[in-house]
Amino acid sequence: MSTVASDTPAVAPSEQYRPASNLWRDAARRFRKNKLAVAALVVMILLILTAIFADVIAPYPYDYSELADALQFPNAKHLLGTDSVGRDFLSRLIYGARVSLAVGFSVQAIALVIGLTFGTLAGMFGGWVDYIVMRWVEVLTAIPIWLFALFLISIWRATGTFSGGGLFNVIVAIGLIGWVDICRLTRAQLLSLRTTDYVLAAHALGATRLQIALRHLLPNALAPLIVAITLGVPTAIFTEAGLSFLGFGINDPLPSWGKMVADANSYIRVYWHLGLFPTLLIAMTMLSFSFVGDGLRDALDPHLNKA
Amino acid sequence: MSRNRLWSVIVFVCVAMLALAACGGTAPAPSGEAQNASNANAAPTSAAAESAAPTSAANDSGATAPTSAASDSGAAASANGTLNGVKLPDDAAPADQQVYVVHYDNTSDFTTVDFYESVYKRGGAVSDVLSDSLVRLDKNFKIQPGAATKWEVDSSGLVWTFHLDPNLMWNDDTPVTADDYVATFRYGADPKHAWDFTWFFQGVIKNWSEVVEGKVPVDQLGVAAADPHTLQVTTVSPAPYLPAMMLYSDTMQKKALEAHGGLYNSDPATSVSSGPFVLKEWRKGDRLIYEANPKYKGTNKPFIQKIVVIGAAPSTDFASYQAGEIDFVTGSNLSPADNQIIESDPELKKQSHPQPNDFRTDYLFFDDQNPPFNDVKVRQAFSHVIDRDTLIQQIIKPSQGIPAYSFLMPGFPASNSKELSSIQNYDVAAAKKLLADAGYPDGKGFPKITLWLRNEAPVRQAVAQAIAASIKQNLGIDVEVSNKENKTFTDAMNAKPTQIQFGMVSYGMDFLDPFNMLSVWLGGGRHNWNNAQFDEMVKKAASFTGDPNERIKMFQDAEKLLVTEAPGVFIYHRYQSDLYRPYLKGTELEPDQNGVAAIHWPGISSFSQVVSSIYVSKDVANFDRQLP
Amino acid sequence: MARYLIGRIIGLIIVFVMVSVIAFFLMHSVPGGPFDEEKSPLPPAAKANILRKYGLDQPLYVQYLRYMWSAVHGDFGISFQSPTESVIQLIARTWPVSIQLGGLAILVAFSSGLVFGIVAAIRQNSWIDYVVTFISTLGITVPNFVIAIWLLLIFSVRLRWLPTGGWPTEGSGNWKAMILPVITLALGPSALVARYTRSSMVEVIRSEYIRTARAKGLSEQVVVMRHALKNALIPLITILGPQIPNLITGTIFVEVIYRIPGLGKFFVSSIYLRDYPMIMATMLLVAMLWSFTYLLSDILYTIVDPRIRLN
Repeated sequence: MSTVASDTPAVAPSEQYRPASNLWRDAARRFRKNKLAVAALVVMILLILTAIFADVIAPYPYDYSELADALQFPNAKHLLGTDSVGRDFLSRLIYGARVSLAVGFSVQAIALVIGLTFGTLAGMFGGWVDYIVMRWVEVLTAIPIWLFALFLISIWRATGTFSGGGLFNVIVAIGLIGWVDICRLTRAQLLSLRTTDYVLAAHALGATRLQIALRHLLPNALAPLIVAITLGVPTAIFTEAGLSFLGFGINDPLPSWGKMVADANSYIRVYWHLGLFPTLLIAMTMLSFSFVGDGLRDALDPHLNKA
Repeated sequence: MSRNRLWSVIVFVCVAMLALAACGGTAPAPSGEAQNASNANAAPTSAAAESAAPTSAANDSGATAPTSAASDSGAAASANGTLNGVKLPDDAAPADQQVYVVHYDNTSDFTTVDFYESVYKRGGAVSDVLSDSLVRLDKNFKIQPGAATKWEVDSSGLVWTFHLDPNLMWNDDTPVTADDYVATFRYGADPKHAWDFTWFFQGVIKNWSEVVEGKVPVDQLGVAAADPHTLQVTTVSPAPYLPAMMLYSDTMQKKALEAHGGLYNSDPATSVSSGPFVLKEWRKGDRLIYEANPKYKGTNKPFIQKIVVIGAAPSTDFASYQAGEIDFVTGSNLSPADNQIIESDPELKKQSHPQPNDFRTDYLFFDDQNPPFNDVKVRQAFSHVIDRDTLIQQIIKPSQGIPAYSFLMPGFPASNSKELSSIQNYDVAAAKKLLADAGYPDGKGFPKITLWLRNEAPVRQAVAQAIAASIKQNLGIDVEVSNKENKTFTDAMNAKPTQIQFGMVSYGMDFLDPFNMLSVWLGGGRHNWNNAQFDEMVKKAASFTGDPNERIKMFQDAEKLLVTEAPGVFIYHRYQSDLYRPYLKGTELEPDQNGVAAIHWPGISSFSQVVSSIYVSKDVANFDRQLP
Repeated sequence: MARYLIGRIIGLIIVFVMVSVIAFFLMHSVPGGPFDEEKSPLPPAAKANILRKYGLDQPLYVQYLRYMWSAVHGDFGISFQSPTESVIQLIARTWPVSIQLGGLAILVAFSSGLVFGIVAAIRQNSWIDYVVTFISTLGITVPNFVIAIWLLLIFSVRLRWLPTGGWPTEGSGNWKAMILPVITLALGPSALVARYTRSSMVEVIRSEYIRTARAKGLSEQVVVMRHALKNALIPLITILGPQIPNLITGTIFVEVIYRIPGLGKFFVSSIYLRDYPMIMATMLLVAMLWSFTYLLSDILYTIVDPRIRLN
C-alpha cells in the first residue's frame, strides 16, 4: 500500500535522510528526460518572454489603428491580419499575452495558496475545522462572480476610483472565488490518504500533522491538483473576458486573449482569423501547462525511477 | 513516447485550424456559403419561380391589381379571394401561408405587450396590436386617422378634441368608448402604477406632472370624455405636436383594467382586443402567437392571419433567416460579418432594405460642467478628429448608417444636415489647434479618460474603439473604452450631476417632431449640458402655433447652437438595412416619397399602416420556408 | 452517521442564512435598481412611488427581515421579470426544462468522458490518447457560445439537418431540436471527466498494488475495473459532483442561443436587471443544490474508499 520510494529507507523518509538538493537534482534529471515536458516548458517560457518583451517583439503598438486597413486577412504587412478597427492582430496577440498570462497564472497562484491552505486544514484536522471551511466553501459557491464583480464596482465608486477596473482588481475578483475546487480536491485526497500505513507510521514517529501533510500527503494529491490548475487557466482567461461584458476589468485598447475570442464571435463567420489565433494561444498555454504539470508530477514521483 | 505526444500537439493545432477554417472558411469568398444557402432555397420549386416573379413590377398606388401573372394559376387565386372579411391581393399566397414569423430578443426584459403597462419592458418585435391608437403613421411618416376619424384644436390652442370611430368594438362585444382612453391615460399617470414613460407627457398634458407626483387626484388629469365617442385632451401650453404624440394612445379596456389590472393581456384568457389581432397564446420565454381579430371593426384590417413572435438571441437571427425560419431581421441585429455576407451575395443584397427607421443618431457626450470638457474648445477639438466617412465604410457599412455631423437625420423634420456639416467636420489640423488653444498642446496635461458605452452591440464597440484610437493618434490623449452593463451606465448617467465624464449613446424619435429629438438636450434632461438660450429657443419653437415653416426655422437655429457648442459630438445616423424576404409585399412596403422601400418604423403595430398592407405573395413558393 | 447528518443539516441552515445575508446586501449595494429606465430618469416623485410599491423604500435590514419572514412561509415574492407569476411558479415552469437539458448533457458527458478517459489511460500515448487530449483541450478552450454558433451554422444553416433552436415542449418542436444543445453543453464537462479520469487512472495504474494485482495474474479487465477505476473515483467525485448542479441549473449561452425556455438565463438576467426576488431565489437554490451535492459526495467518499470516515 505504501507509495514510499523503494530506494529510500522504508519508514518515514524525511529530509534528514535525504538531502533536499539531492531530491531536487533527481527530480530535475528526471524532468529533463521527459522531452515533451521540456518542450512544453520551452513553449511556456517563450510565451512568458513574449509577454515581458512585447514592446520589443510586436511590429506595431497594440493601440495603433489604421482604419482604412480594418478587417484584413493575414498578409505580408500584417502577418495575422488586422482587427475590426484596423489594428495589427499579431501585435495585439503579443500584448494580449500580458493580460491573459498574468490573469491565468496569478489567479491560479492565489487559488493554489488559498485552496491548498484551507484544503489541507480541512482534510488534515477534520472535525470542526473541516466543518467551518466546507460551509464557507458552500457559501462561496453560491455567490455568482458577476454579482461579486458588480459589488466591487460599487465599492470603487464609493471610494472615488470609479472608472476603475484594471488587472489587479480582476485577478483579485477571480482569485478570491476561484480557489474552491482546489480546496475541495486537496481535502478529498487528504481524507483518503490520512489513514494509510505510512502516514500512521510517520505519526508514530512523532511527526506533527502539518509535517505529515506537507511531506507525505500533498505530493500524493498532486495529480488531480495539476489537472485542476491546468483547467483553471483557460477558465480564468475567459472569466476575465466575461467580466469585461460588465464593464469590469481590462478596458480596450489593452488586449487580452479571452476578450479577443469573445469579441470575435460576431466576426468569425467571415473573418476567421479573429477567432482562430487567440483560441490557439489559449489552447497552447493550457497544453503547455498541462504537459509541464505532468512532467513535474512524474519527476517528483520517485517510483518512476525504476521505470 | 514523448515525441508521440508532441505530435499530438502539432496535430491538434492543424486540426483546429482546419476545423475552424472549414466551418468559417468563407474567408476567401465570403459569398460562397450564403450563395449556397439561397440556391438551396430556390431549388425545390425552381419551376414556379418564373410565373410569380413579374408581379413585383407593380409600382406604388394601392391597387396592386394589374398583376396579370396571378391569373394563370386560376383556381388557387379564386380560392383565397377573401379571408376573414378582407379581399386578398391577387398575387397573395394561400391563407395558410399568410403568416408572419419574427424573433424577439430573448435576452431583454419583456413583461407586457401594452404600451401603458410598460414601455421599456414591452415586448419584442410585435406589440401594440390589441387596440387602435388615435392616430397612426403611413410610410411617409404622415399622421393618418386611427381610432380617431378626425380631430381639431380650439382657438386657445389648448383643448384638443378627438372624434372616435363609433364602429370600434372589443372582441367581448362591448364598444370602444372615450372612457377606455380616459382610463388608459389615468392609468399612465397614476402614482400607484408608476409608469416608466411618465416623462413623455410631462409639461404637455394638463395636470400630468401633478398627478404623477401625487399632488392632484387622477380625475383632475387633462384628459376627459365629452361623450362616449369624443375625447378631449387639454395641454399646459399650445402643443401643435400633440396629434403626433397621440401615436402612443393604443387604449386598454377600462373594464379589464379594473377587473384584472394592467397585465390582463398577459394571458389569452383575460386578454381582450379591439385591434387588428388577438392574443392567441403566450408561452413565456418562448413565443407569442397572435391571430387576426375576426371582430375587428377598424380601418387597419390585416391580410396576415397569424403572427408568431419567437424569443431568440439577436446574434442568431441571421442564421435563422438563412434557414428559412423567420421572415424578417432588423438591421440592428446584423453583425459586421452578417453584413459582409449580405454585401457579397446578390440574392441577399436584394432582400436588404435601407431605411431611416426611428431616425436614430449615435453621439458622444461629455460632463461639460467640469474640466476638461467644460471648455467648448476641447469638445470642438474632439468633434473634428472623427473620420466618419471611413467609420461608415470600414466598420458600420454603408448599408447600416450614414455619417452624422448634426443631430437631426436627413428626412426628419427640421433636419439641416447639409448646412451644419461644416461645423463638426473631420479636420485634424483644426482639432489640434483648438486643443492647443484650450491649454493642452498635443494632449499635454490632459487627463487620461474613459469612454463609457451602454451595453453596446459589437459594431458600436468597434466604432468607439476607432474613435479612441483617433483621439490618441491625433490629439495625444489616452482614451480607454469600457462597455458597461446597462444598469451601471444608466445609474451613472441619470445621477445629477452625471457621473459619466465621457460617453457614447444614441437617441431615436418617439414621435415625428423636432421637439422630441431636441428635448434630449434640454437642461436637467438626459445630459449635463445646461444652456438657457438653447432651452428657450426649443421651448418657444415647440409651442409656436404660427407658420410651420417658421417653426422649423426656429428649431434649426436651436440645432445650430447645439452643434456649435458641441455638448454632443455626432457620429452616425442609423440608416439601417433590414432583411426581409421578397414574398413580403404591400403598398406600404413600396417606395415612399423619398424612394425608400422598406417596412417603415414602427413596423407591425397599431401605430402604423403596415399592419393592413403587408401580405405574403405567391413568391413564397420559391423559398424553402419553415413555418413553425 | 445520524449525528453526522444532523450536523450537516444544521450546516445547511447556516449556509442558507449566510448566503441570504450576503446576497441581499451585495445586490442592494450594486449600482442601479430595478426601475432605472434608459431614456430619461424617472421624476423623483414617480421613482418614490415605485419604490414604495415594492417596499424598497424601507431600510435594508427591514427589507431583509421581511423577505426572510415571507420566505420561511414559502413566499419568495414576484419576479420583476415576470410579474404575472410568483418566483416559485417561474422556477417550477422553467427549471424542469433545464433539468431535462442538463440531465441529458450529464448522461452524454459522463458516459463519453469516462470511456474516453479510461481508454486514454490504458492506451497511454497511443493515437487514441492524443485524440482524447485534443478533444478535451478543444472542449475546454473553446467557449460554449462559440461552439453553439458553429454547430448551428453547420447543422442548421448549411446542412439543414436540424432546427436552429426550440425545445420539444407540449405541441412544439421535435426531439431533433435537443441534439445540438445537448452536445454543446456536454462537450466541456465530457472533456473534464476525460481529463480527470485519465490522470487519476494513470496515477493508479502505475502504483504498486496494481502491479501486485497484475502479478497475481488477474485479468487486465478486472485490474482496471476493480482496482484502478475505483481509486480514480475520488477526484472524479470531487470535481464532477458540482458539474451536476451546474448543468441542471442551465447555462445562459446555450439556452439563449438555442431558444430553450429554461432557468439558466435567469441566473444572469436577474443580476443584470436587478431583479431582487429572483436573485435571492436563484442564489438560495444554488446554495441548496451545492450543499446537497457536497453532502452526497462526502458520503460517496466513504463508500468508494472505506478508509475515509465521516465524523
